[in-house]
Amino acid sequence: MGKLEKMKERYDAIPIPEELHVRVRQEIQKSRRQQEEGNHIRRSFNLKKVIRNMSAAAAAVCILFTAALNTSPAFAKEASQLPVIGGLAQVLTFRSYETKQDDIAISVVIPTIEMIADDTGITVDEINQEILARCSQYADDALARAEEYRTAFLETGGTPEEWAEHNIKITVSYEIRQQNNEYLSFVVRGTENWTSAYRESLYYNLDMATGKIVTLKDMLGDGYRELANESIRKQIAEREENGEVFWTPEEGGFTGISEDAKFYINENNRPVIVFEKYEIAPGASGEIEFEIGEK
Amino acid sequence: MKQILYERLIQYILENQDRFYRTAYSYTRHQEDALDAVQNAVCKALEAYESIKNADAIKTWFYRILINECLTLLKKRKRAVPAAEAVGQDVYVEEAYEQGGGIEDELDRLEPDVQGIIKLRFFEEMSLKEISGITGLNLSTVKSKLYRGLKLLKENIQEADLWVN
Repeated sequence: MGKLEKMKERYDAIPIPEELHVRVRQEIQKSRRQQEEGNHIRRSFNLKKVIRNMSAAAAAVCILFTAALNTSPAFAKEASQLPVIGGLAQVLTFRSYETKQDDIAISVVIPTIEMIADDTGITVDEINQEILARCSQYADDALARAEEYRTAFLETGGTPEEWAEHNIKITVSYEIRQQNNEYLSFVVRGTENWTSAYRESLYYNLDMATGKIVTLKDMLGDGYRELANESIRKQIAEREENGEVFWTPEEGGFTGISEDAKFYINENNRPVIVFEKYEIAPGASGEIEFEIGEK
Repeated sequence: MKQILYERLIQYILENQDRFYRTAYSYTRHQEDALDAVQNAVCKALEAYESIKNADAIKTWFYRILINECLTLLKKRKRAVPAAEAVGQDVYVEEAYEQGGGIEDELDRLEPDVQGIIKLRFFEEMSLKEISGITGLNLSTVKSKLYRGLKLLKENIQEADLWVN
């Protein structure tokens, strides 16, 4: 082996300190905040704000609703008879709480699956336990990250008042996608409003006939990968014609779905494959979804 | 357009931060300095992202900033270092990089810019054109410096290997 090869080997073995990622993340975060402040000044009429206020009102209704489910068994029973919800099973809020610590707001809403029909023989305890564990873990980790950020912020000359103005918020919540006699599909999300690096979305899709997790293969058959890839490529091409930006495969864009591609089941009982922010397109596009139709 | 460039830069940084660190470490041979160099480079890059000409230039543009940061830190340290050397301890050396030593010393004996070119070409596997963009030297200068460095290392590299890309 040549000298250079040996050197290269040792070079590649240089250990990466954990601190590196923390410090890089801090810089990016700092920059994003500055960008945002710049944007606020530029746009005096802020559409985002209007939308935010609107969704706050919608959220207030949701909170009332879930709070009622949590507190009143009678209401929960009634709610389950509402036509929209129906089905053999339903997703309910298992636990929800809001707290604040060191000016870090934490809002956690943990879902659980409840079987309505008694005679299905399906048990969902395992999935429920997993959901609970992962939600709790996320909330704990996110809080630790925010505390780390706070310490760094204060140590580098930031004041507690300035820290409070950051309005750091950690949110764990869920959204139901489909709930009928065939499928139960919902997504559990964890987000931190100061960094998108740790967003987490877990998709749960259950087949109501078996109580098992549904895979893309179950829904689309053995050739599911080719089918999905072809459909996504076609949809990307269509959207590009309408001016949407996707990265090319060379730039790290779409090259085909992975075995554990994230998806949910929509109101048409079709799978919808989801790509996370940055996965196949610039961050401005956010999450990107593709419904995979029938052949 | 600007927004896209900004997001691309962030993505590039997140994906390549370990590489940045290794490069910085190979210059500074010191964990704290390497971390500082990467952090400063990221900060400066994000502040000045509007000066990138196009998305394809992100890599060379970023490395230029990073290497400048490393050199600046080295200059600062030169003034502070003798104290540590006087007690006969090299506190800056990390084992994994230095084990079985000797070879890096040989590299260290080369002129700094030749060292840099060799590192970028063989450790970061960059093309001569990219190196030319980073160092600001023209392509033929990069080639001749690289060739001279390898000769001094008495390294048997097939010429063909050298001029790929």
